[in-house]
This record gives sequence, structure tokens and C-alpha cells, in this order.
Amino acid sequence: MMVLELDRVRRTRGVGPHAVEALRDVSLAVGGGEFVLLEGPSGAGKTTLLAVAAGLLRPTSGDVCLAGRRLPAMSLGECRRHRATRVGFVFQRSNLLPRLTVGENVVLMAVLGGMAREAAKRETTRMLEALGIATLADRYPHELSGGEEQRAAVARALVHGPAIVLADEPTGSLDGVSGRAVAESLGSLAAERGAAVLVATHDVRLRSFASRRVRIVDGRIADSEPDLG
Amino acid sequence: MAALIRKALSSRPARFWLTAGGIGVAALLVLVLGAAYRSVSSSVAAYVGQPGIDVWVAPGGVDNLMRSSAFLPAHLPESLATIRGVAAADPIVRAYVTVRDEADPSPAGHRLALIAIGYAAPTGGGGPPALVRGRAPLDSTDIALDRAAATRLGVTLGDTVWVNGRAAVVLGLTGGTNLLATQFLFANLSTVDGASGLRGRASFAVVRCTPGVQPAALVGTIRARFPRLSVYPREEFVANNAREVAAGFIPLLTLVAVLGLLAATVLVALLVHAVVEERREDLAVLLALGADARALTGAVIREAVTLAAVGAMLGSAAGLVLRVVLDHVLPVIPLAFRVTDAARILLVFAAAGIGAAAIPVARLRRIDPLEAFRP
Repeated sequence: MMVLELDRVRRTRGVGPHAVEALRDVSLAVGGGEFVLLEGPSGAGKTTLLAVAAGLLRPTSGDVCLAGRRLPAMSLGECRRHRATRVGFVFQRSNLLPRLTVGENVVLMAVLGGMAREAAKRETTRMLEALGIATLADRYPHELSGGEEQRAAVARALVHGPAIVLADEPTGSLDGVSGRAVAESLGSLAAERGAAVLVATHDVRLRSFASRRVRIVDGRIADSEPDLG
Repeated sequence: MAALIRKALSSRPARFWLTAGGIGVAALLVLVLGAAYRSVSSSVAAYVGQPGIDVWVAPGGVDNLMRSSAFLPAHLPESLATIRGVAAADPIVRAYVTVRDEADPSPAGHRLALIAIGYAAPTGGGGPPALVRGRAPLDSTDIALDRAAATRLGVTLGDTVWVNGRAAVVLGLTGGTNLLATQFLFANLSTVDGASGLRGRASFAVVRCTPGVQPAALVGTIRARFPRLSVYPREEFVANNAREVAAGFIPLLTLVAVLGLLAATVLVALLVHAVVEERREDLAVLLALGADARALTGAVIREAVTLAAVGAMLGSAAGLVLRVVLDHVLPVIPLAFRVTDAARILLVFAAAGIGAAAIPVARLRRIDPLEAFRP
């Protein structure tokens, strides 16, 4: 079953002579449990594609279907609620909220995703244990290493049981060992939960985790191929 | 969830307490001015409204103790005493005198201009409303000084001072007689007469009613008998004096209160603005994750109101401490706080907090969740 479908999506920034087409007739489908790498040079449209997929940007034309619902047909409020429950994010920097502990960061996402507070706490504990960072639950983000922070971000992305995790350069600021550990955790936990993963990246080391690679150049899908590992 | 969002967007403790301290100082400024005004007002009321005086008789056209230069004949109280319903009538001489410390009578020494009240000591009406230490004047060389005046002069009980060049001994210290700019001095009629050259005159006459006689009725009787004099029941005379004090203080007090409020509002606005700017990335992340913009707005406004309220409470607490400290260390500055003043400041500052949050909240609504993707 497809959790994300983009159908001939165009996205234009600016108007008139300054208009830039960030996405041109992009069509892409990602199924549950898939780990898809979105590769391409800087400025190719990877992040724009992730934002359109999450409903953070509306396509200028074309259609986006996320977890069974058409985003362009939704109001902004509906889109926000749908995103909170069905999408998980991992950003290039962990973007954990610095005034909250690791545990609170994850609980907050679970609650935003619709869980009751107690269930959110239980699921947070389970998720942090699965990622091997349960002992860090009461630490603040600035007390963590880069790799620990990204694993906490992975916990936040998956705690509410999303249909898809959208990750933007999740290993971009990590060394090889940490990056590999984060990618491995993200891939295995998402697969366990049947969540799809769409990763925008330059990091070729992630190819070994991908079930498919999609290359985007100048806002167009240049080619798509199953990863050979 | 709301609690977690509030925590996520809260300011750092050091910044919070520094700003709350700044707001507290603004609140303290407003409170101190109000308390000083109230203290002066209550000192005047304590004297002119003291028990034992039911009616004030003044020269025609004079309606307050503070600003008058007309006089009554010294024998007027004897005439008043013959009126039915008058239990006692006593003269009061009010004059401004210069008091010097005996230890250093040179021009460079301590010197104060005080309001001298001469009365028929020790039992006549119009004496000190409250004695903090010592006793009321008896002999012609005895005086009772306001406690703050004694502090300013550097004298205490038993010390000799010079009142318009005449020696007098401080035998009593009075309370509730500090008008901030000047203080009261109490002495025998003859002492003040001699020091001021007002022999044979009185500034006011104070009248005590016989039991069962209403002051208002007695006022009517005295007015009928002496139509060219001004006669007031005690409460009216108190109100006249309070109005006279307020006339000098209120415009300045209002101006400083408004400035203090503006300063506090700008402080709150600056902090909340800084919270929004500093937390811009976090707000973008929260919006991207699916947090409701209204919940974020609520958290920002709550932070602003909390800050303003904490600041106002700090200011009020500091005001109470300051009052106690000043009372012991520098009684020259009297402060009379009221809980209602603190409550009013709290409400106004909380409202200012909401107002101050308006601009940051408007900026918050313009934050793009896509900022969360920026490296």
C-alpha cells in the first residue's frame, strides 16, 4: 500500500520573471516499509519535495496523497493535524527543543500525534530503549553527542507511529560511525513499524540501507532505481 | 501538552529573573512614589484629624493648615469656650522656624526649616498626634520633634537645639508628623510665640465638643456667632489638607507612574520579542511537527504575563522591605504602602504584559515552518 503519492507535482517560487520552478512534474510513490533515498545536488529540489510531501508547502499544480488523504483538498488546520499524526521528521540537525529533556521532546511529539499523556510516556520509554538511549531521557540536548541527539530525533520521529518519516540530510552533521548507527536505527525501527522512510541526502553511505534510490535534478526526477546495496 | 510547549518556549532562568527584576524596579518606583504621597497625606491627616479636636476654626478664607498666613486674635478661644456645646477651645500657633543643632550652630551646620506648632501644652488640643519616645513639652524650653527631623539634625532626646536662635531641649520624638519636605515641631505656645514674633495671635483655634453635641451642629453655631471666620468639622478640614497635599504631588506622581509603566511594558516587550527571536527555530520545528499556532501564541502570551506579574510582585515585596529598612535607617523618607496599591500595579503590569506580547505574537505568526529544514 502506498503511503505517499505525488502526481505530476509542480511547485513554483516567486512570480513573473523571478519565478523559479523548484519541482517540475514530479511523480513519486512510496510504499509502507520502503526506505527511499532522494539524491541530487544542492538546490535540486529535495527539501522542497519533502515539504510538499508533508503538506508544509502546497503544490502549484498536481496532487499529493499522504496516508490515504489528498493534501491539496485539506484546510491548513486539517493538514497540520494530519501531519502531526501521520508524519515523522528527522532534520539535518536534530532540532530537539533545547529547553526540554530528551524524554520530554519525544513525549511532546507523541502527544502532538494524538496519544494520551500516559501512553505517550510508555511509548517514549519503549522507543528510547529500542534506540539504546533510555539512560539519556532526563538529559538536555546540549548534554548529548551529535549521534545521541540524532538517535533521540529518530525516537521523536517514530514515537507516534507515523505512516512515513521524512528525513532531510539526517547524517549530514555526523561522523561515519554515528551516521551509520543513526541510519541503521531509523531503517530497522521504521521497518518494524511498517513506516516508510524518505531520506533526502548527499550521503552515499546510506545507499546500503535503501530499498530504492530516486535521483532529482533541477526539480525533475532524473531516474529511479532499486538499490543494489 | 500545553505545559510542555510552555516549557519549550520559556526564557532562560537568568534572563527571566533579570527582566523580572527590571520590571520590579519599575513597579517599585511607582509604588514608592504612591507610598510617599500617601505617607505625607496620612501625616497631615494624623495631625489635623487627631481625636480630641472636633472643630477647626481658622481666619476667614483659610481652609487648610499647610498654606495660610492670616491670624486670629489670641483671645478668640476664650470667646469660643463660652459657646454652648464647647467643652474646650485652644489656640494653635503655626509658624515656620529654623532649627539648628547646638553642636554646630555655624551656617555650615545642620539646619532645618520645620513647621512649629505652638499649643497650650501639656493638656491643650493640637499637640503631637503620637509620641514615639519621650514626653510632650511642658516648659517653655521643651520641644517635641518629629523623629525624622531629629535624624536629619543628628539629635536625640535630651539634646539642645536652637529654634530661631533660642535654645530648646528635645524631650519628645513624634511619629506620623513627617511631611517629607518638612516635619513638625511641637512646643509651648509661648515658645513658638517668642520664636516667631507672633505674640497675641493664633493661627487656628481647635474646639472639642461636649459629650452629646454633634460637631456639625456646633460648626453652625460658631459660624453664626463669628460669620467672618472659617469653621470646619474635623473631617472637612482633613479633606482640605489632603487636597492641598495632592495638588502638589498628583501630577508628578501620575507622570512618573506612567513612565514606570511604559518602561515595564517595553521591558516585557523586549523579553518576549527576544523569546520569539531566540526560539524562532524551535517555533519553526514545533509548527513543522504539527503544533497548533494558537497553542504557541498562548504560551508566548502566558510567558509575557507571568513575567510582568512576577516583576510586579518582586517590586511590591521590595517595597515592603524598603519601607522597613527606611523606617529604621532613614526615617526621613516615610513610605505608607497599601495592599491595594500592589494589587493595582499587578493588574496593570499583567495587562501591559498582554499588550507587550502583541508584536512578538504577530511575528510568531509569520514564522515559516520550513525554517526547521535549514541547516
